[in-house]
Amino acid sequence: MTDGRDPDAGGADGIAGSARPAEAETGGLRGRVTRTLRVARWEVTRSVGTVDRKTILVVLAMVTVAGVVGLAAVDEGLALESELYVVGVDEDDPYHDVAVESTAFRPIPLSDVELEDGSEDGNVDVVIADDRIGHVGTNGEAAYDAFRGAVETYNERRMAAEADETAAYPVLVTLEYQDRDLGDPVGGDDLVDDEEDSTDLEPEADETATDDGADDDAVDEDDSGTDDREHGADGEVDDGDGQADGAGVDSTVDDTDDDELAVPDVGGGHAAEQTAPGTPGTLSPPFPFQSLVLAFLFVVPMNFVIQAYGSTIMDERIQRRGELLLVSPAGRLEIVAGKTLPYLLGLVGISVAIALAIGGGLLSIGAAIPIALAFLAATFTGAMFARSFKELTFVTVTISVVLTTYAFVPAIFTDVTPIALISPLTLIVLDLQGDSVRLAEYLFSTGPLYFGAAVCTLQGLGVYREEDMFTQKAIPSKAVDAIVSQIDAISRRVHAYASPFVLSALFIPFVFAAQLLVVAVFFAVPEAIALPVVFVLAAAIEEFAKSIHVYAGFARSRFDASLRVATVLGVLSGLGFFLGEKLTHAVQFVGLPELTVGVAAFGPALSSEPLVLAALFLAPLVLHVVTAVVGALGAARGRTSYAVAFVLATLIHAAYNLGVVSLVG
Amino acid sequence: MAIVEVEALRKEYGDFAAVEGSTFSIERGEVFGVVGPNGAGKTTTLKMLAGLIEPTDGSAVVAGFEPGEPAMQRRLGFLPEESPLYEDMTPRSYLAFFADLYGVPRDVAHDRIERTLDRLDLEHRDRRIGNMSKGMKRKVAITRALVNDPDVLIFDEPASGLDPLTTNYIIEFTRELSETGKTIVFSAHNLFHVESICDRVAVMNEGRIVASGTIEAIREAHGGTEYRVSATVDASEGLRASAPDANGPDVDALEVHRTNGQAEHVVGDMAAVEAIRAVVEAEGGRITDIQTRTPTLEEIFLEIASESSAEETEP
Repeated sequence: MTDGRDPDAGGADGIAGSARPAEAETGGLRGRVTRTLRVARWEVTRSVGTVDRKTILVVLAMVTVAGVVGLAAVDEGLALESELYVVGVDEDDPYHDVAVESTAFRPIPLSDVELEDGSEDGNVDVVIADDRIGHVGTNGEAAYDAFRGAVETYNERRMAAEADETAAYPVLVTLEYQDRDLGDPVGGDDLVDDEEDSTDLEPEADETATDDGADDDAVDEDDSGTDDREHGADGEVDDGDGQADGAGVDSTVDDTDDDELAVPDVGGGHAAEQTAPGTPGTLSPPFPFQSLVLAFLFVVPMNFVIQAYGSTIMDERIQRRGELLLVSPAGRLEIVAGKTLPYLLGLVGISVAIALAIGGGLLSIGAAIPIALAFLAATFTGAMFARSFKELTFVTVTISVVLTTYAFVPAIFTDVTPIALISPLTLIVLDLQGDSVRLAEYLFSTGPLYFGAAVCTLQGLGVYREEDMFTQKAIPSKAVDAIVSQIDAISRRVHAYASPFVLSALFIPFVFAAQLLVVAVFFAVPEAIALPVVFVLAAAIEEFAKSIHVYAGFARSRFDASLRVATVLGVLSGLGFFLGEKLTHAVQFVGLPELTVGVAAFGPALSSEPLVLAALFLAPLVLHVVTAVVGALGAARGRTSYAVAFVLATLIHAAYNLGVVSLVG
Repeated sequence: MAIVEVEALRKEYGDFAAVEGSTFSIERGEVFGVVGPNGAGKTTTLKMLAGLIEPTDGSAVVAGFEPGEPAMQRRLGFLPEESPLYEDMTPRSYLAFFADLYGVPRDVAHDRIERTLDRLDLEHRDRRIGNMSKGMKRKVAITRALVNDPDVLIFDEPASGLDPLTTNYIIEFTRELSETGKTIVFSAHNLFHVESICDRVAVMNEGRIVASGTIEAIREAHGGTEYRVSATVDASEGLRASAPDANGPDVDALEVHRTNGQAEHVVGDMAAVEAIRAVVEAEGGRITDIQTRTPTLEEIFLEIASESSAEETEP
């Protein structure tokens, strides 16, 4: 550091002064960090300056109200029906307790009841006298129905509290959730056979009626189920029937439970709450409503923050404002990091606050961060591609919908199937339910988002330069430019022909995430529809990832559009993708291939047969190379040819997938 | 000693070459003008020097560093044609941020900013930039280009769209900066401004530098001094008949304008003037007026531009 004085500087007239910036400060990592923090601090100052105090107060008030209402709704409901109806009943009447316990009713003594002569109105809605229940006025009928319901609830509660269980429940039903039979899910006649089981999405309640009213074992079974759930997280083996006892009761999977990367101890929390006896009306499927709603709280602010973040990125591109930053000593990475940092820290802070408020732990925060990163990275890239604030709105809404769907939909099945692990939100649900999660499971859930965010950021950075960020090109054209900037970067460091190999491998996180999303979306669709769609979509996603950068290179004249070059690029692209795809075999470890749609998207689980293994290893290599060459040949001849080649490659790929799954699955 | 060295600089956008092999150098303390019509490649050249645009080919060294290097950016002040400022900020906070970004110590930055704003007569320094006039915004932008006390200043159309008073103010300020030893690369459409403050210029057309050097040298090469000889008789016939010698006066470019019984002969050298005088006297007439005229840079520029465009279209 210097004192900012430069002896060489002229400054004869004192207009510009004679000081020069501190030289040492700007070099190395420290300089980069310093500049990043300066941009971040400025971003905060500038952003605060653009929002007036009244708006800040209104937003704060809205957030507070939304938070309080949300938490209250989850905790106790909104209590909209509090003392909705008035019941005329004496204190010594047995129904008086019903009216007192139900929040919908306010009891008043019969002596205070006033009924208007000749009219059906009065100061009560329901009147109870001499063991008879009547209703009065326009609300009377609804009040009467509500009161009957309250009586049933009251009776059930009393039965549950009864010390003599046998007297209260002469007939006991043992409820046991079973996993669907997912063996040999695709191919041949089994597919048809499986459908009966598989299309039934609700976990089956295996009702075992017994007339052994005094059977304490039944209760014990429930208890043991709860215990198993707790131990299941530690990988204990359920030797019962060799099947997972299911999402609701026991989550240990099968005899391979000692596998390090076994499906986590998903679910069970709900069943644990139901170990007490109840009536059929009190039973509900294993849907972690409360945890899910609380977990969703993490995602809500992200949808708002990206609006502001997208605007600030876009703002730099309007009227070339960002040009002056680009000409400063701060590099584009420092500028973008500096502009992003306040929003990322804000989201982390909000996540910590939410976790503290709802009882989440480090796992919840650690799961929320990759979601936040994905939101910000996608918004950054989208804001770099959009041509106007109007387009930016479309982009941010799309990002909100896609990422929220990606995070939320799989998490619904937290207590049902390992597919839920696709989403980091599932980790939060598990955390809130008190379940533990292994590191590998955390990486599986969050890895695609971490990598996806990194690749998105790279794409955005690729066009964060004067030549691209101020031009008015259509979004697809900007996307092509962004890819070409990566081709150029790889060309400078290695060779132009290395780019298809590297980019195909780099796109794997997107492929993985997109295919996971497809699986999650079609999980609930009948297999007869879901399977063909998933086969084609999964293939299309992969073919797109293998060919789009080759097309971009040809479109921007980075490659010679010759047959030989296209073939070489296709081979390299296929090879790169093949190697990258091996990473997706992580799905084997978390049980997705046990699902029919999982098989359609990712292929069958690896066989133990050496020949089959070798074939399974080499066949995809051939496939990826062949289809990538098809795509590259089309890309070399222009957009229309590329579209045709892409469809052709997708169909070849889908046919291959179907063939392999039928043969091996 | 050259502080800016440009060698065969080239920028292509697809099949279109915006700049084709520009080569020039700028000495320390010089004011170097880059002129040319719209689309000539001036701004692209300046942005390549500023490190904003990566050249397709060729090289540039500014203040001893390649454009884009942080060390070079710290020694550069760039004023783009448009002044995109953050309208929600005040001049003080805006300029303080950029000074901070350049690593200028806060107290130094404060003094420098206040002095420059004083010199530029910018009041209302805590007013929102969005509420300022275009001229005031331009002054803020110029001050921003100076917050790091740069060695090299690139001014791209610094007076574009401003009223004559503010324009003169800014041109005068630029001249003062050059007197303090700053090297200034200056681009403007108004060639009068270029002529008044630039030591040397490069004339660009369709991506190429078609002429460069001092204004006098360019004038000499592309126009020189013009002589207008008015006489009572037209001497053109006699002049052409009497001057077939290759070493004689250049009468090929002779132009004659007839007005009010007078003949105005336009020639390019003194020998031709003498020849006209001799012919006029021989034909019984007399010389009524002789004027010399130096062409403006604008006229030279138009001539060069039309010449280079014509060359370009020739088969």
